[in-house]
Amino acid sequence: MTATSAFFERLTVAGQDPRFSKVCGSIRFDIRDGDHLEQWRLNIDHGRMQVTKGPDPATTVIRVSAQVAEAMARGEVNGLAAIARGEILVDGDLGLALRIGRLFPRAPGPSHGDADSGA
Amino acid sequence: MRDIAGTVACIDGNTFMVSDASGDVESSPGTPVGLFAADTRFLSRWALTVNGERMAALSVDDSQYYEVTFFVVPGGAVDYVQADVSAIRRRRIGPDLTESLTIFNYGERDMELDVRLEVAADFADIFEIKFDIGDKVGSHYTQVRPDELCLGYRRGTYRREVAVSASEPADFDPNGLRFAVRLRPGEQWSTRLQAAMRALRPDGVDLRSVLRAQRPDDSTLPASVQAWIAAAPTLDTDSAALQQVYQRSLVDLAALRFAPLSLGGAAVPAAGLPWFMTLFGRDSLLTCLQTLPVTPSLAPATLRILASLQGARTDDVLEEDPGRILHELRYGESAAFEEQPHSPYYGTVDASPLFVVLLDEYERWSGDRALVMELEQEARAALAWIDLYADLTSTGYIWYQRRNRATGLDNQCWKDSWDSISYADGRLPGFPRATCETQGYAYDAKIRGARLARTVWGDPDYADRLEREAAALYDRFNRDFWLEDRGYYALALDHDLTPVDSLSSNIGHLLWSGIVPPERAPRVVEHLMGPALFSGWGVRTFAEGQRRYNPLGYHNGTVWPFDNSFIAWGLRRYGFRNESGRIAEGILSAATYFEGRLPEAFGGFDRNTTRFPVRYPTAGSPQAWSSGASMLLIRTMLGINPHEDHLAVDPALPSAFGRIALLDIPGRWGTVDAFARQRPNKP
Repeated sequence: MTATSAFFERLTVAGQDPRFSKVCGSIRFDIRDGDHLEQWRLNIDHGRMQVTKGPDPATTVIRVSAQVAEAMARGEVNGLAAIARGEILVDGDLGLALRIGRLFPRAPGPSHGDADSGA
Repeated sequence: MRDIAGTVACIDGNTFMVSDASGDVESSPGTPVGLFAADTRFLSRWALTVNGERMAALSVDDSQYYEVTFFVVPGGAVDYVQADVSAIRRRRIGPDLTESLTIFNYGERDMELDVRLEVAADFADIFEIKFDIGDKVGSHYTQVRPDELCLGYRRGTYRREVAVSASEPADFDPNGLRFAVRLRPGEQWSTRLQAAMRALRPDGVDLRSVLRAQRPDDSTLPASVQAWIAAAPTLDTDSAALQQVYQRSLVDLAALRFAPLSLGGAAVPAAGLPWFMTLFGRDSLLTCLQTLPVTPSLAPATLRILASLQGARTDDVLEEDPGRILHELRYGESAAFEEQPHSPYYGTVDASPLFVVLLDEYERWSGDRALVMELEQEARAALAWIDLYADLTSTGYIWYQRRNRATGLDNQCWKDSWDSISYADGRLPGFPRATCETQGYAYDAKIRGARLARTVWGDPDYADRLEREAAALYDRFNRDFWLEDRGYYALALDHDLTPVDSLSSNIGHLLWSGIVPPERAPRVVEHLMGPALFSGWGVRTFAEGQRRYNPLGYHNGTVWPFDNSFIAWGLRRYGFRNESGRIAEGILSAATYFEGRLPEAFGGFDRNTTRFPVRYPTAGSPQAWSSGASMLLIRTMLGINPHEDHLAVDPALPSAFGRIALLDIPGRWGTVDAFARQRPNKP
């Protein structure tokens, strides 16, 4: 399994994140690897997260290469910097995209901040 | 950094152009002149010649911050101007640069004019300019088209581009454009130049197109400035000087507004020209606190963007922790490629408590409980950061020690230069350090957080806990920081809890935060208003007599208007009406020497010696929290404070002012007026 699909699996299992209890919106990740396009859609409704695979429309779309997606899932990407240098393309609500960025880990591995998320 | 005296600036938020008095830009490394947007220089050369001669300025009109008009003639600075030919350059900043050039022939002969504009773009990042770094990693490209000159810079998927075009036929070449102009006697010729700045994604989408949508036509910006001024209270006063400062500050706050791309158009204050044209946590929060009675719309937008970028993880380069509020956000190449840590950088210890302080103060003014509900989690996380992540020595204080050893800040308090925290004898303390004013902010944040928890979040247990913590911090602080033999608070604690014993302006902020027991306040005030700290214009950052004192030391002896405005607020809080008035009078008088525009800082020389405030060489201007300082000083003179659903007024006017009235102050009460008048028998 790729780090990307493992990441979305984790979100599916988690099901909710209290940090987003006031957040509603949908984001689709369009991940391109050559001619292959993989799409994941994340719906957030007051912290409840639902992950689906496929091209369903979303209010915000994030486009990245498979390589960048893997790096994001491994926690190696600073999202804001990557947006500024053109590696992550966001169409729609940039503010929502930045918030969602908190779901991604940050290398080297999960920080002790994650201890708060189950509270 | 260099002094940029004699330059002319044209501003719209974080887009700005700095040129010489003739309108020309000839940048050299290390000098912040040129056309900038989002921390990148899009034009490093923009120089006009007519028949090979450079232009000399006769006069400049910069009465609108977004528009400058230069009246120029060909030829250098000579005693006698043979001005048959003259020109007007009308420059305007918006999402892009436009410049209308008009050339007149008032001579008696036909003229054949070779009108030439030299253009270059180095795409320097603001940090390359600040640190004078020459070589760029990416590559430049130039495309000469029949109707435009396109200059670009590419580094991987990062691409920035500027396209220069004109409304009249021109010959474009790689270094600029040229017009062949024929003018009969009495004729004039005009063209409209444009420099369109693009931040291009690999798919060709321009990230800056959002900004163009916010300024759909030429009237959008003037209309928004008019609306901004109309929404602010009216100042009625017998002091022409105060009126000038108020109007200037109001307009400068408008100039520094910018709409971050992630905020859907809402504006927050950029910190200041030319080095700080971006979002700073501390500067924006303090500016919002200063300006709540006048321009409250800045506060919710600032709180929201800082909340949306609040730290969530632990990162030693960005110095990010869960709950930490950011220090600085940049969009330039050095941030994009993580050569500088500003995407965003979290290396500040005061923004997190100040976030809670502003949220509470804003609610007191506005009654906007919905925002307090919306930001509940972020406020709780900021309060949790104080105890979980800032207490590096487990002693109950906010400490700092940089984790980013390459590019992080040594001092993560407002006095963030490397030598700002020292003992009276000049020694620098070790790390970590805990500065005094930060503990005051933490105390205030806990008290205010408790009020929000009790009255809005419906969590009395949390409120009780915060109040217990605040009370314990109050006791601890007054035990560990107080220097009984000197009668003031130590500037900081060294890593081993030794008090850093120098006398500084920081003790004034403690009054604002309310962490000083009333019986100690008179001794603190005696120092603040004594000759070692008070220059006659204001309180110096650092007292005379300390080893590192220098009246031109950035944080070691200059006078900062913003610093003084919070000290004046603190003095009013503790009932020192006259002392607060002396600071208001001093700072506002100083403003008259800067045409009403308070700079970031000015020299700490004694007022009786110099009789005018001495310009600090690299002081930024306009500076948001300096503009905000005049607003806060007016607030302290009027003594206005929200009290439940009305605005309490308790004026204390210094003798320099006969009458001040602030009309239509917005808040939860609708709008109300506040009056202050000199009493016939003043004390």
